[in-house]
Amino acid sequence: MMGRTSTVVTHLRRTLRHESVRTWGPLAPALGLVVVLFGGAVGLALLRSLGLLAGGTGAGPSLDAYRRLIADPEFGRSLLLTLHVAVTSTVLAIVLGIGAALLLRRLVRGRQPATTLFQLNLPLPHVVGAVAILALLGQSGLLSRVAAQTGMIEGPASFPALVFDPYAIGIIVQYVWKEVPFIGIVALAILRSTGDELEEAARTLGASPWQRLRHVILPLLLPGVLSAVVIVFAFTFGTFEVPLLLGRSFPAVLPVLAHQRYTDVDLAARPEAMAISVVITVLVLAVVLAGSVLARRTIRQEAR
Amino acid sequence: MTAVDARQVQGSSAPAGVAGQPQGTGRSVVVGAMLLLLLAPFVPLVLASLAEGYFFPQVLPDRWSTRAWRIVLDPSGRTWSALVDTVTIGVAVMVLSLVVAIPAGRVLGTRRFRGKRVVELVLLTPVLVPAVAVAIGIHVVFLRLGLAGGIPGVVLAHLIPATPYVILLSAGVFANADLELEAQARSLGASWWRTRLHVTLPLVAPGLAVAALFGFLVSWGQYVLTLVIGGGRVVTLPILLFATASGGDASVTAATALFHSLPAVVLLVATTRVLGGQGFATFGGTR
Amino acid sequence: MPHRIRAVVPLLLVALTATACSFTAAPGSDGAEGAEVDPSEWNDVVAAADGATLDLHMWGGSTEINRFVDEVYGPRLAELGITLSRVPLADTADAVNAVLGELEAGRSSGGSVDLIWINGDNFATMRQAEALLIGWAEELPNAELVDWDDPAVAFDAGLAVEGAESPWGSAQFQFVHDTARTGETHLPRSYAELADWIVANPGRFTYPAPPAFHGTRFLKQWFYELSGGPDAWVGSFDEDAYAEAAAPLWALLDDLRPHLWRGGETYPGDIADLDQLFANGEVDLTFTLLPAGIGANIDAGTLPATARPFVFDTGTIADHHYLAIPVNAGDPAAAMVFADLVLDPDLQAAKLDPAGGWGDGLAIASDRVDAAQAAAVGDIVDDLGETAVDQERLAAVRLPDSLGALTRALDQDWDRFIRQRQPRS
Repeated sequence: MMGRTSTVVTHLRRTLRHESVRTWGPLAPALGLVVVLFGGAVGLALLRSLGLLAGGTGAGPSLDAYRRLIADPEFGRSLLLTLHVAVTSTVLAIVLGIGAALLLRRLVRGRQPATTLFQLNLPLPHVVGAVAILALLGQSGLLSRVAAQTGMIEGPASFPALVFDPYAIGIIVQYVWKEVPFIGIVALAILRSTGDELEEAARTLGASPWQRLRHVILPLLLPGVLSAVVIVFAFTFGTFEVPLLLGRSFPAVLPVLAHQRYTDVDLAARPEAMAISVVITVLVLAVVLAGSVLARRTIRQEAR
Repeated sequence: MTAVDARQVQGSSAPAGVAGQPQGTGRSVVVGAMLLLLLAPFVPLVLASLAEGYFFPQVLPDRWSTRAWRIVLDPSGRTWSALVDTVTIGVAVMVLSLVVAIPAGRVLGTRRFRGKRVVELVLLTPVLVPAVAVAIGIHVVFLRLGLAGGIPGVVLAHLIPATPYVILLSAGVFANADLELEAQARSLGASWWRTRLHVTLPLVAPGLAVAALFGFLVSWGQYVLTLVIGGGRVVTLPILLFATASGGDASVTAATALFHSLPAVVLLVATTRVLGGQGFATFGGTR
Repeated sequence: MPHRIRAVVPLLLVALTATACSFTAAPGSDGAEGAEVDPSEWNDVVAAADGATLDLHMWGGSTEINRFVDEVYGPRLAELGITLSRVPLADTADAVNAVLGELEAGRSSGGSVDLIWINGDNFATMRQAEALLIGWAEELPNAELVDWDDPAVAFDAGLAVEGAESPWGSAQFQFVHDTARTGETHLPRSYAELADWIVANPGRFTYPAPPAFHGTRFLKQWFYELSGGPDAWVGSFDEDAYAEAAAPLWALLDDLRPHLWRGGETYPGDIADLDQLFANGEVDLTFTLLPAGIGANIDAGTLPATARPFVFDTGTIADHHYLAIPVNAGDPAAAMVFADLVLDPDLQAAKLDPAGGWGDGLAIASDRVDAAQAAAVGDIVDDLGETAVDQERLAAVRLPDSLGALTRALDQDWDRFIRQRQPRS
């Protein structure tokens, strides 16, 4: 008996020491959590968008929900608006974020407090940011009031429409305001860890400031910043509360539209909400994938 | 394509003052202007929160008042219970995500294996996919399981966006830690547990604390997952703030928004102290 | 309408059986006894409610109303061992959706919604889905203070209440202007005059986007004025007649669009947004539903001190608003206790009073309370002053609400023709 037990224990030990177990064992809870909760959520949305599993209203399998979406002019306009918001915010955030990092890293006096202040709105919830932007940029917000007090405008109506506006300026400003520090801090961290020596080397070799930026700094920043950019794009594409507070009632961005359809008193609109969810998910992942492939190609070319 | 390239961001706390650069006052002015722009949205919030009847075109309030703050800080009001709920959920999310993140982060940070990139991608997708899609996808299942409308369900839902961040950050922590010391301790005869407790933990604790904090902050700012899964019964600070903003009292809204920001700012200052001036630079932005 | 009631009876029986079944099966989600809640055994109801948490789902767009619910009803419920959990909604339809979603997911008991602040088309939707408890409202102890013979109480937007909801208060749509900006003599007194006023004051008017409650009301009254009044829209809903009658409204709104705030490109989401636009001088008119006026809003600083309500000569819609219990409510007993509590004459008077209350109309009949309580109400009404429209004037221009079907049709068509600007065929 004893002998057998010890064989089993030895066998068990050996198994536990096995490479794949030591790799996949510790990963299992994390992967399990993501696959079950997240995969479940997305999978269910997909099934229900096809009219499956929906107790009562589901008559599936069918593509009716998607057909209705394509036929719905509101969906098309929402999609365009969402893409506009995400692309514009991301581009502005990259340019301004990198610019801010380049400025901040060469600050000799007061760099520490400046960097701390720069990060101040990073941990802030987006709802707070949206409320604050509304109070600043609304037609009766602080800027408009200052303009009125200094005689630049006559009344709220003569202040430019920066929130609830057709170009989603308020939403974009909120995103940029929130994401510039994010990109900036990532860029700053990369520059500080490696940038200085390389740039110094380039300088000794006689590179102009523009050449140093183009051939040293930007290639250095590219991989890290691109990862941050992917997150920024995905976020600005998918967020809900900011457009709800700062956007027009029509058209609404896709996440807001999905939620509207989900909470419609008519439960028959729910498959459409699921279909919108699936569309958002696929679009974001497609853009992210395309972006990362493009990024790797660019990085390889830069390296040459 | 690790989105938060934790290693890069982590290994950045070394100050890198570059001597001999011309320091223009122009640069200081531009930086100052930029910081002012970033702080500008707080100005109307502070003014509105201290005013009564703060209508256009008042810049400074005609009537200063602590009314809004009295309402927000009222011990029997909704703010404090919202704070308790938000912190409870945040701490639960932090602890649970850390529990799954530490083993996973160690493997991802220290081992090379086939399929590692796929694992990283799988772990990253919940960060990228919009929360609305996740929320309405799991809502019905949570309803059936009796998880909707309660704090446990909301915690589970928050784990979806929080855990990936914590894992990827932990991976960076382990990648940067000098785990050779573990082997040395073991060879000197220390037990597995003693090694973990006295060698590994001190090495990774500060980094893991930041990762945990990150998990907390992801939960702290969540709106739509709480809204859908909590069904309005779980009133966290974002939910309360949104409801207040729809209630039309600009002063109370402003005070609630500032109240909601304060803990995050305090955490920022605290981490800045602990991590020697880098603060959130150690882990980038929060959602 | 006796024939309509007769038609409802078989439906009612079916619904009763259905709800009775789920009734017996309902375990209280918060440990309260949910089974067999019978309001005629009131002591049992109160005992069952002790220890419960009441999830009251209600529109949260009014600071004054929220405060009153939390600070006045909250402590009174606490005395009875009930914890009040007020769930603020952007739109009452969210609660309707939540209940229907729960029922669809098979949660026929222990649901998350105990009580909904409701009326009109949302009530109709829930009745149609058999999602409400019925036959309890008239059994509440304080129901004897309610005049259930008054059709304005017994019918909600043309649908028989059948004890499926208990009145909380009454309301009447009014417009609000600022005497510091717009003098009495310059105010429109009908929708026809309002149309001219909008053209004469470009950018100075807008309304909350339907289906926001105030926005829908505003629209429906305009429809009444253009289509010959509410009498044509009781009974059954004739879709063709409606489409024909509504066409001039959409044409008119199209013509007026460029003269609206922001050129009609966007609309405020809710009355709170419109109030803020009004208070900041971005627009010159806003709305209220409070019969006792806007004193509470002025005190809270959400409306300027010089704001005053007024009504059109062509009438404004008055109705009651109610509390309804979903069939799958986790704590129906606590819900009934709340519905009964709000009918308490002292609390009804406190709610009416703009000073400390919110200016909401009564749900109970003044001739059914004792003399002292009636006198208290009389005092409040006498003291209303300029921040309320004269009560007789209000009564004189009162119009009834219409069928839920009409409300839904107007909301949907507004969304298509005005918000989305789809072409009208």
